[in-house]
Amino acid sequence: MPNRNSIKSAFESMMFVWGEPLDVKTAAEVVNIDKKTAYEYFKELKQEYNDGERGLAVRETDGAFQFVTRAENFDYLQRLCTPVKEKRLSQAALEVLAIIAYRQPVTKGEIDVIRGVKCERVVEGLMRKGLVEETGRSSAIGRPVLYGTTRNFLRQFDLESLRDLPDIDDIEDAIHESAPDESPDGAEQITFLK
Amino acid sequence: MSYKVKIDNFEGPFDLLCYLIESAEMNIYDIRVSQITTQYLSYIDEMRLRDPALGGEFMVLAATLIELKSKMLLPRSGPAGDRDEDDPRNELVMKLLEYRKFKSAAAFLSEREERAGFLFEKPGEDMQTYTNDRDEYLRMDPERFARAFRSFLSGKQRVEEMRNIYERTERQRETVESRISLITGMFALKKTRKLGFYEFLKAQNDRFEKVLTFIALLEMIRGRAVTVKQRGSFAEITVELCGGKEMSLYAKQE
Repeated sequence: MPNRNSIKSAFESMMFVWGEPLDVKTAAEVVNIDKKTAYEYFKELKQEYNDGERGLAVRETDGAFQFVTRAENFDYLQRLCTPVKEKRLSQAALEVLAIIAYRQPVTKGEIDVIRGVKCERVVEGLMRKGLVEETGRSSAIGRPVLYGTTRNFLRQFDLESLRDLPDIDDIEDAIHESAPDESPDGAEQITFLK
Repeated sequence: MSYKVKIDNFEGPFDLLCYLIESAEMNIYDIRVSQITTQYLSYIDEMRLRDPALGGEFMVLAATLIELKSKMLLPRSGPAGDRDEDDPRNELVMKLLEYRKFKSAAAFLSEREERAGFLFEKPGEDMQTYTNDRDEYLRMDPERFARAFRSFLSGKQRVEEMRNIYERTERQRETVESRISLITGMFALKKTRKLGFYEFLKAQNDRFEKVLTFIALLEMIRGRAVTVKQRGSFAEITVELCGGKEMSLYAKQE
């Protein structure tokens, strides 16, 4: 049986070739070890990469691992290849996505109630972007469709799992602490000035 | 005090209300309903000027606020200690707090999204160069290939058939008017004023053609361009040209 280091080395090569997040389960089957040990090895690899001064980092998403570039190098990469920046989500889309992320599985009706606006079109847009998906049907009258977030959502927002989302009841404090003097629009500044 | 602020696109009625409460530096648990209602209404008035199709959701909250305002005028029953529990504002406050949580969650996500944008990943390697399977389609067995080709041919045939039908329906677009001029033309050609009905149908095997001729004749009878006579049931129908100005009417139409 191959030793710890050679398996980790194999995982490294596999992640390099795979590109997409590599499932621990898939990788474990390839080298014929149990999933738990494989996960441990991946975690070690992640630690090693992220501690060292490497240009690559290992990102974990929903029990899968992949190589990504280090955020600090973004400027250089941009100068090298001017990557197309993906359009950011609109405020409406972010709000609906937040509700789905925290309340999943959730129906459109429940989302509408929280925001006071119909969310039909926004949910469709999020589905097209692969950020949310139908997860089943509610047993309520009319059996409305239930929505939840996808693995792609976790990846696009750099979250290891849904547990990475801050507690919804503390979130306002968390946000205000992290960005104390940030005001999203000019209108708010007027209140300070008066 | 009053001040003019840029009217942003508010994501919904709650968004606008939250903004107004924050701007007025009001405690969300102690909303001054009358003041906020006035502000809210003037905002949606202005927003409607810009966007006449402003969502009905904004109106719904306006109605709720006005109702709340009137309820606030009524003295509340019960001892003073219970006041908090039957405060008519409670339901709205709960909703606003709930909404505000998710608005913060959206801000959190927005920040994550921006940060995640600094990371690049790469697509999986194209391993075909290494797998020797590049010419896979050539290894298909001949029988399967022949079957695929046959089904392609029969598919093509079906399309051909469909096209024939389609073209025939195109041809049948012939109108009653064009048929009438054809009939008058037959009279002119044979230099006669009388013709048997079956003369007209001779060259026509198609049911559609026959019906069209029949309708054209009925139309001509109605316009008094021709008269028809029939001796008895199932006997030959004689069609006789009337002549005169009605005929020129049809000629002109054509």
